[in-house]
Amino acid sequence: MAEIRFEKVCKFFDKARIIEDLDLTIQDGKFTVLVGASGCGKTTLLRMIAGIGPATSGHIYMDGKEITDVAPSKRDIAMVFQNYAIYPTMTVRENIEFGLKNKKVPKAEREALIKEYAEIVGLTEYLDRKPGTLSGGQRQRIALARAMVKKPAVFLMDEPLSNLDAKLRVQMRTELIELHNRLKTTFVYVTHDQVEAMSMADVIVLMNKGQIMQEASPEDIYNDPNNVFTAQFIGTPPMNIVDMPDGNKMGFRPEKVKMSDVPVQGCYCHKGEILTREMLGSETLYKIDCGEYTFMVKTDKPDFAMGEKVFIHVANEHLYFFDAEGQRIRKTDGENQYAQLLQNAGGMSNV
Amino acid sequence: MSDLTLQRQAKRKLNGKFIRNQVFSWALVLPAILFLCLFTFYPMGNLVHLSLYRGNITNPYKTFRGIENYLDILVRRPQFMTTLKNTALYVCMYVPICLSLSVIFAVWLQKARKINNFAQTCFFAPHLVATISSAFMWSWIFSPESSGIANGIIKVFGFNTHNWLGSSSTAMVCVMIMNTWASIGHHALIFLSALKSIPGEVYEAAELDSSSAVKTFFKITLPLLSPQIFLMLITMTTNSFKIFESVRQMTGGGPGISTKTVCMFIYDNAFETNNTLGLAGASSIVLTIILMLITLLDFKGLEKKVHYQ
Ligand SMILES: Nc1ncnc2c1ncn2[C@@H]1O[C@H](COP(=O)(O)OP(=O)(O)OP(=O)(O)O)[C@@H](O)[C@H]1O
Ligand SMILES: [Mg+2]
Repeated sequence: MAEIRFEKVCKFFDKARIIEDLDLTIQDGKFTVLVGASGCGKTTLLRMIAGIGPATSGHIYMDGKEITDVAPSKRDIAMVFQNYAIYPTMTVRENIEFGLKNKKVPKAEREALIKEYAEIVGLTEYLDRKPGTLSGGQRQRIALARAMVKKPAVFLMDEPLSNLDAKLRVQMRTELIELHNRLKTTFVYVTHDQVEAMSMADVIVLMNKGQIMQEASPEDIYNDPNNVFTAQFIGTPPMNIVDMPDGNKMGFRPEKVKMSDVPVQGCYCHKGEILTREMLGSETLYKIDCGEYTFMVKTDKPDFAMGEKVFIHVANEHLYFFDAEGQRIRKTDGENQYAQLLQNAGGMSNV
Repeated sequence: MSDLTLQRQAKRKLNGKFIRNQVFSWALVLPAILFLCLFTFYPMGNLVHLSLYRGNITNPYKTFRGIENYLDILVRRPQFMTTLKNTALYVCMYVPICLSLSVIFAVWLQKARKINNFAQTCFFAPHLVATISSAFMWSWIFSPESSGIANGIIKVFGFNTHNWLGSSSTAMVCVMIMNTWASIGHHALIFLSALKSIPGEVYEAAELDSSSAVKTFFKITLPLLSPQIFLMLITMTTNSFKIFESVRQMTGGGPGISTKTVCMFIYDNAFETNNTLGLAGASSIVLTIILMLITLLDFKGLEKKVHYQ
């Protein structure tokens, strides 16, 4: 049980400012997922929580107690490293057992734990093998078991499923969710995979260049993005963004666009020509050339053909507005301003 | 052109290529083989031949003695066995002490501190000094008069001066200290390069697993160093069995023959005393066989414990 709080935390590597003035609270007992582009500082953040890559300045608190300078071993934290970092000279069993032995867990209990977690990650038959003779995915599962078995207060996972095949990944995902439900401890999980983030998270923390772009539940981060970056990062394909004549930006999700053969009044509507068509099964993805912009559209209507002339239209409630810096303008920021934006959007229609 | 001629041409081309390949490969290894034959196998055969005769440098094959020379050194005269015992004692002291000190030293150097580069240079420098000069210097340090540094130091602590090199209980230890000093930097460097190739995350994971520094050393660092330790164990053992200049310079084999080593015995019989070249030859053969056996035992006994990546 632990809440982690960052206060004005900075991390520099020599001159490179990776993280600056970061404030973040990771809630106790929640499954928090960190997402962000490669190199944005996710691993750096985890390492600061673990205490193995200390912050350059600022404070980190765990349950209100400052842990900025506390040794990693005193933090009750387990971590799955991005590149596994398993002990190469030890067998799978010894790898899993090492932390338990150091904590003086009695032998019988150790045996039971190893058996249980080897079962969970599916490594029972490999317990006496050396990591060098195992595949990448199997090694990754050693790292998972080694961290899980310690039952820590905070569980850090740096892309722990990246090397597993689709089936195993889904299986491990369920295991982790179950584990979280069972242990009710704080999980911090890093991933590149949006689907993974959306499906597992209680809270998603979206990072970009060392900054937190948004911290919210999966629903909110999808339905109510704070800025253009979030709007475009979450959701596949990303949100369509259009520059408005007044300097603001307008956005709408590909899956909220409707297509028709005739123009529609009273909302944003634009004529266009279908460039490509991808059939995804239940849905179809169209790329539509609308003159200045090309829009992505995802709909359940498969019967438009390539080269066909169509009209796309988006209902007012599915339009998002952002200012010139990319920050969201909401209805609650001013009714009049919002009405004006909607009117401007309608004015951009071209039929 | 018919199919047949085409086929024949292709075959000839293939043959030509094959022969060229063969010639090229042999040309590459020939110099090495030549050197090996000229400077290793031929002298080796010669040595066996030599060990069966009585003679001296000018006339090595005076009289045929058969295995008499071997019986002399192994059974009849005790001196060879004594030098062998001295040498073995030295190896048993030097190898474990020097090996463990260089590992510890390398682990200490591993942390990137400013002082470490300096320390590394300091410890490596003695390796560049000729053994004979180092030995000479250490003879001064262990000089029996109170002018010697060693005696100077123990006098400060109120002990009596000691004749370090002149007493059979300490002479060999002094030689060992000198040789450790001379080679530790070099050995540590080899371990250091191995240590630097261990990914830092492994240590971080150990830290998160609440592993103490000592435990991390024995459970993680040491097993990862095992290939280098194994290699160094074998080279250090064989090399220190052949110890010669440093003992000759520092103690001259004395007091008595209490620090005389096998190589000194061989040297003396070959170049100092008359008509004993055959004895030297026989001793060399025995030494070679002993070294081969030790290496073989090392491989048989330890290789399974070595962790190769
Ligand atoms: N030891 C280091 N020295 C210098 N720069 C570093 C160091 N470690 C990380 N960085 C830099 O810090 C930035 C953030 O790295 P980090 O590993 O946190 O990224 P990440 O978000 O985990 O990326 P990925 O998703 O690819 O794992 C990168 O630009 C990287 O180059
Ligand atoms: Mg990373």
